[in-house]
Amino acid sequence: MTAPEKNAKTTPKPTRFLLFLGCAIPYRVSSYEISTRKVLQQLGIELVEMPEYNCCGLPIDPVNHSMTLTLAARNLCLAEQQGLSIIALCPGCAGTLRKVNKKLKENKELKEEINGYLKATGLEFKGTIEAKHVLQLLVEDVGLEKIKASVKTPLTRLKVSEHAGCHVTRPADSVDFENPEDPQALKDLVEATGAEYVEYVDKLACCGAPIAGVNDRIPLQLTKEKLTHIRNAGAHAMVTVCPFCHMMFDTNQPRIERLFNETLRIPVLHYPQLLGLAMGFSPEELALKALRVDATQIVSRISGKEDAS
Amino acid sequence: MTEEKPRIGVFVCHCGLNIAGVIDVKDLTDYARSLPDVFFAKDNRYTCADPGQDEIRKAIKENKLNRVVVAACSPRMHEPTFRKTCAEADLNPFFFEMANIREFSSWCHPSTPEEATEKAKEIVRMAVAKARLLQPLKEIEVPVTNKALVIGGGIAGINSALDLAEMGFKVYLLEKTESIGGHMAQLDKTFPTLDCSICIEGPKMVDVGRHSNIEIISYADLISVSGYVGNFKVKIKKKPRYIIADNCTGCGECRDVCPIEYPNEWDVNMGVRKAISVPFEQAVPLVYSINLDHCIECYKCVDSCGARQAINFDQEPEEIELDVGAIIVATGFDIYMPYDDPLYGYGKYDNVITALEFERLILAAGPTGGKVIRASDGKKPHSVAFIQCVGSRNLKKYEYCSGFCCMYALKNAILLKEKYKEDVEVYVLYMDMRTPFKGYEEFYRRARDLGVTFIRGRASHIIEDSQTKNLNIRAEDMTLGQPIELPAEMVVLCTAAVPKTDAGDLARILSISRDANGFFMESHPKLKPIDTPVDGIFVAGACQAPKDIPYSVSQGSGAAARAATILSKDKWKIEPIVAEVTPELCRNTRVKCGICADRCPYGSIEAIENQPAKVVTAMCHGCGTCVAECPADAIIQKHFTDEQIFAQIEEALKKNPEGKILGLLCNWCCYAGADLAGTSRFEYPPLIRPIRVMCSGRVDRDFVLEAFRRGAGMVMIGACHLPYDCHYISGNLRMKARMDALAPMLEKLGLSPHRFRVEYVSAAEGLKYAELMKEMAEKLDELGPEKIKAENAKLKPILDRMLAKKRPQKAQSSK
Repeated sequence: MTAPEKNAKTTPKPTRFLLFLGCAIPYRVSSYEISTRKVLQQLGIELVEMPEYNCCGLPIDPVNHSMTLTLAARNLCLAEQQGLSIIALCPGCAGTLRKVNKKLKENKELKEEINGYLKATGLEFKGTIEAKHVLQLLVEDVGLEKIKASVKTPLTRLKVSEHAGCHVTRPADSVDFENPEDPQALKDLVEATGAEYVEYVDKLACCGAPIAGVNDRIPLQLTKEKLTHIRNAGAHAMVTVCPFCHMMFDTNQPRIERLFNETLRIPVLHYPQLLGLAMGFSPEELALKALRVDATQIVSRISGKEDAS
Repeated sequence: MTEEKPRIGVFVCHCGLNIAGVIDVKDLTDYARSLPDVFFAKDNRYTCADPGQDEIRKAIKENKLNRVVVAACSPRMHEPTFRKTCAEADLNPFFFEMANIREFSSWCHPSTPEEATEKAKEIVRMAVAKARLLQPLKEIEVPVTNKALVIGGGIAGINSALDLAEMGFKVYLLEKTESIGGHMAQLDKTFPTLDCSICIEGPKMVDVGRHSNIEIISYADLISVSGYVGNFKVKIKKKPRYIIADNCTGCGECRDVCPIEYPNEWDVNMGVRKAISVPFEQAVPLVYSINLDHCIECYKCVDSCGARQAINFDQEPEEIELDVGAIIVATGFDIYMPYDDPLYGYGKYDNVITALEFERLILAAGPTGGKVIRASDGKKPHSVAFIQCVGSRNLKKYEYCSGFCCMYALKNAILLKEKYKEDVEVYVLYMDMRTPFKGYEEFYRRARDLGVTFIRGRASHIIEDSQTKNLNIRAEDMTLGQPIELPAEMVVLCTAAVPKTDAGDLARILSISRDANGFFMESHPKLKPIDTPVDGIFVAGACQAPKDIPYSVSQGSGAAARAATILSKDKWKIEPIVAEVTPELCRNTRVKCGICADRCPYGSIEAIENQPAKVVTAMCHGCGTCVAECPADAIIQKHFTDEQIFAQIEEALKKNPEGKILGLLCNWCCYAGADLAGTSRFEYPPLIRPIRVMCSGRVDRDFVLEAFRRGAGMVMIGACHLPYDCHYISGNLRMKARMDALAPMLEKLGLSPHRFRVEYVSAAEGLKYAELMKEMAEKLDELGPEKIKAENAKLKPILDRMLAKKRPQKAQSSK
């Protein structure tokens, strides 16, 4: 634990949470999970494993809405049994759990319907816990002051852009976090590391991921445009907080370079990796090697040995 | 008043075959004749026609009838007709009661004539029971002060004031700012004629200033209003100008020597004014004022004013009191400043401005001398894009259409094109172009002929080039079905017209209501668009909803005419269906109560400590909310007394109560909706026995308890939709609060939740009412009489006790 917090609080904020990993992170972007665990531990957040969790429900929503509600509700019920709120790293999972949690808490008839489906599993939705994305946890529960205090080496030599993605804030009515047309949280968190925040044109535009699989060129074009704007704005790196955004910007970047015959080479970090670097963790501890776009120049810039690049 | 024994006459109308085609009218008439206190009963083909009315008048005289019941159509249709008939036969018109057997029976139960006749009998029996207890009422008269107050000196208020003054009434014109003129004085040209705005408004402003019947009270705020129609007492606070108005000649010598400049709010802060100045040259009254926030007290102005001695730095705020008979509210609107819209970059990008700022730019007398230039570099833009519906027609901001933005955008586009010709490209990005009034569509064509480019589509985002400060508009071109990027050197946001920031305060002071958008609410959207729910207070101009100049001018004149209907009389008559406190019963003499004063939607009850509460009759609108709220049952509503309603409940539930729905329907919404179900011939099961109240706020919890005590199958309260539909501002909200507390209590006592219902049905929802009746009948059937009887038996002793304590006389009379 670091510096004592100045604001006296009436009720202490919870520090134990269930970690909901979802599908994409364990299989494709484990570096996100590894770095998050390191950083949250340093901030005094204890993550409890969530056994037997199932799909968050989002992928089936266009086909069967009740199924989505039931799948999400089952996850929520598991958390209720442990009396802990859920933290999800994937905004899709976080958004779905949050939305369903809110819907079932507010709508008695819907709750009864879903509990009917859950009966066979011996579970019952009660509405006693919360679910949120790690970004919201950092801003609301941990707080910027505490994060700033945890920074050992401020990243003052680094210019960083970000892409927060859609599900963190949308749909605004059910996610109920911040204004999707003017999000601030990730900007504040980047600045908390001491890095210089770089604005760029089209910050709110889509990363392209939702179209991938249906069409290849359009999503990659979108990603390329965003990466170009980020490069033109003078950023050394960018951060994401979503596995799917990350796959577009990082995993697909070499492909984009080949397809459009351009050199981009913009390192794309998971936000916890950026914060971790500022906290003094080593690149290995933060799984920086797992990134497709080489991030060593960032590390050297932070440590003042950037002449290598 | 001597208590005579009631002698009731019942007149059953055939209404051609409208009633007689379904209901056995003869049987019904015979039945009516058999009821206690009924001395005369007769049926006729059309009771409302002259022969029918003659029959009533004749019967009153010949049979010494002292109560009349007509079983025919809805009281909303012919109650006034028959009241007049009674009055013509020297019977107090409030000795009349109507039994609605057409809308409520023959028209909605045509395929079950026997049940319809049975229902009609019960409706007649309920009416006779109420008639038995009717009291004579006298119309109330109050004196009228023949002066008017007009609040707001914009173009609507100016017209109201001038018209009333011309009719010969004294008018006080209250203006918040230093000068009258309003938004119109800020504009460059007006559409569709391109007249110079101040050139046509200026002379009117001067007329106001000179008129012997008008007194302008400018730079002043409304503090409070008390009283009632014909007799308002108004308190106004005049802010100090630090200038003695009578001594100021408006010469401006003081301004010339003043060394201090500050942003001129009237110029949308784009120009400057001196610390001693007028906001604009044509100001009326032409009296200077000193802004002490900026004045450095060098006293150069005092020297230059010299012998005129118009400057007084010791001036204090001054409170004045006025007596007026009518008030016209014409406070106008504000313009939405889109600082909170991150996507259009207003406040962030230099060259994104609002349309009002554009007006000041292109105006020859404006801060740039009429040159349209960019804030970033002072250069003339070669391309200007107008974006429509900024804030308006947006579910996240303002849902409504602001009405005049399409037209002023056209005007500004035309002005730009005429001024700079080929040297400027003008774009208008719109959702729909709305050009419906005289000469407006032609004006639209003129803009197209001049080469203005119209792009149908909403701009999603504006991006600024950080070097050139040019703008790039992202939008969808709906005609092409494609996203587009439109470069522009200046963007003008046509932002929403919104309610004045202090509209809420004013609404509270005047006890008038506001609609969902925050604009002042008219009494009826179609037929009383200028009246407010408070008698004697009228609205004009954009404070009621966004309006352009001709519309505001017409409404200003309309409001003057409406006000004159009061001001031209010496006395004003008020409907006597009002509330009255029985002083001996009022708790306020012993404890601090004042609940009635708090709950009255019109602030018409005074509850001074240690004194019985008092209803100011002229302010009372007769909703009856206070009557239902009073914990001591110390207030009665005339013509809708507890005794009368209890008697109706008793009669309604005499036979087979568990199979019936007792309805308590508000006159303006649910009762009207039920009428509409009848007129639309929607058929539904004949289970409801409706009782009319003026407002759902009148529904006492005791009515509900009494109905269940008498074994009702279901009880339904029918009200206006929440939150704004109530005819009496907030009666439905009071009822809801009351019933929200009652419902769980009844459930706890073992009542099935579906048996007690609060439903919101508007006057237009006849179908909803019919569907509701069907659904309730199904539920009633599902529950079954046995279960209901069992629940009622369990409830009865508790309800007996609850009601006996409150109304011993009622409990007895029912036995």
